[in-house]
Amino acid sequence: MSRTNVLICDDSAFARKQMARAIPDGWDVLLHFAKDGQEALDMIRAGKGDVMFLDLNMPVMDGYATMEVIRREDLPCLVITVSGDVQPEARTRMLAMGALDFIRKPIDNQKLITLLKQYGIYTGDARSEQRKKQTTLAGSSDSEKLDAYRELVNVAMGRAGENLARQLGEFIDLPIPNVNIIENNELHMAFAEVNRNDSVSAVSKGFVSAGINGEALVIFNDTDFENIITLLNYDQLSAAPAQLEALMDISNILIGACLNALSDQLNVTFSHSSPIILGRNRELESMLANTKQRWNRIMAVEIGYGIKQRGIHFELLLLFPDTSMERIYSRLVDIED
Amino acid sequence: MNTDVMEELSRQHWLHDLLSSVEVGIVVLDRDFNVEVWNQFMENHSNLRPSQIVGGTLFQHFPEIEPDWLMLKAEPVFNLKSPVFMIWEQRPYLFKFGCNRPITSELDVMYQNVTLFPLSSLSGKVERMCMLVYDVTDQASSRLNIEGLNDQLTEMSRVDGLTQLYNRRYWQERFQSLYRLAKRRDSANTAIMLDIDHFKAVNDNYGHQAGDKVIQTLAKIIKKQTRETDLAGRYGGEEFAIILSDAGGEGAMQVAERIRKAAEATEVTHDGQTIQFTVSLGLAEFSAAFHNEMQWLDIADQALYEAKESGRNQAILRSK
Repeated sequence: MSRTNVLICDDSAFARKQMARAIPDGWDVLLHFAKDGQEALDMIRAGKGDVMFLDLNMPVMDGYATMEVIRREDLPCLVITVSGDVQPEARTRMLAMGALDFIRKPIDNQKLITLLKQYGIYTGDARSEQRKKQTTLAGSSDSEKLDAYRELVNVAMGRAGENLARQLGEFIDLPIPNVNIIENNELHMAFAEVNRNDSVSAVSKGFVSAGINGEALVIFNDTDFENIITLLNYDQLSAAPAQLEALMDISNILIGACLNALSDQLNVTFSHSSPIILGRNRELESMLANTKQRWNRIMAVEIGYGIKQRGIHFELLLLFPDTSMERIYSRLVDIED
Repeated sequence: MNTDVMEELSRQHWLHDLLSSVEVGIVVLDRDFNVEVWNQFMENHSNLRPSQIVGGTLFQHFPEIEPDWLMLKAEPVFNLKSPVFMIWEQRPYLFKFGCNRPITSELDVMYQNVTLFPLSSLSGKVERMCMLVYDVTDQASSRLNIEGLNDQLTEMSRVDGLTQLYNRRYWQERFQSLYRLAKRRDSANTAIMLDIDHFKAVNDNYGHQAGDKVIQTLAKIIKKQTRETDLAGRYGGEEFAIILSDAGGEGAMQVAERIRKAAEATEVTHDGQTIQFTVSLGLAEFSAAFHNEMQWLDIADQALYEAKESGRNQAILRSK
């Protein structure tokens, strides 16, 4: 039997490595890697993709578009979606286009083996010790670290989106998170999508465990409130209380799910503080004006959630001080190694 | 008894002590909101012993809690295994408890932050949740005080100290929005610019303090002769600006005349001396043809100049 060509398509190098490390040693494969759908299609056409593990949210060409081309051109490729976005609608869409199955990120050896057995693709020994040795996760460059953080957040973001979708009964549009390392005095740089002069309302919550601390902010543009209030059926309340209820409801779900997903991946249990209203109906900059400069650098992750058909958009911002960044990275790498 | 059992009993005892002494309300509820745990804090503040409430639904004892609302809030706890936080800004309290310091506290009730989180059973399913009730009365009270203080500061930044009328900056801000409103509705509005005749002479003859008194007196007259809905401000040293809303030229002239006559009839005493003063007024009706609000004010200013030129102590109207 000839070797199986396995193609791993994900924009994150960290996620590609995680995937490669999960593949059992006994499975006779040739591994290929692509960082977006366009690259993947070229490789499939060149015969390098008998089986593909395909991510959904990617730049250039995302998973949906890639799957669409595979179906249209009837390319000989078995697709297994591996995604942080596990909303029922995402799953249905991919399966309807012919994907074999759908696995929730982060991928691990156990999940993969179960799936491979189920479809009779590989039924041998599960161990993947050799692969792990061949592919070390730990990198030292800043861009490698940044990539690992991005993947961590990607999964957390997906989980939060899924919970929100279930609670609201709407499909949530997930973006590619915007991860930035910024100097403390440039906190406003963390907000690419919030306009300087927009009137916004924001909630903040702190979390800490195992020396990793951070803050989660949920920011609503005031112009979006009306649609959110309608969606949540708070129309009967007067404007100010309805806004506050909506802000608290959404942030409870978003921050809760996001921190749960971070806890799982880092193997820690976070303590959360009670949320604080950072400010209401004001410019974001004025809310952050009293922020003290305590850290040299901050990792800021901006995630812009949307519900397109409802005209709703809100931001989740995760902030980690420099001391936490190092600990997060070593935990991410340690858990695996 | 063997020592292991004794040790375990002792451990149970101090664990129970711990749960009772902690100054946080702890309640365990099942999916139907039946109470399973009711700690000392809850007992003390509600005056309900565990024997009275455990086993029954939470709602029967607390009419202030709307069952539908709380059930809706708790949904993510059971469905998503996600904690839910409620803060006093949303509702001051969940349980209507008296405040901790009954005599000196500024607030009548205990303000509360409430956290709900899932408790998993051995099977990993969420069968019950824990409710933590934090007393945040002091935090709320100081926050409310600061907000009150901020309101005062805002008021201070808007009002002129000497006259208690709006200062020029804030007056102009309000004038702008008033102008935009007038433009949209094309309603009858009239602007008045007025100042004190020969004010320099008052200052020179009687001193600045006397001058201030005259300005204050005029401000009082203006306040008395205008309505709440009119916009009156101190525009410069001895110069005032008023927008009379829903008043055409004729009505505005009556107000202007009343101000002029009242000023003429008023005597200000300072250091035993009696000071008399008069004012001149320029009026301009609003016109939809104006390009901006300053054009409107300019016309009132021109009318004021004309009133001065024509001998002072009079009001002149520019109709549209």
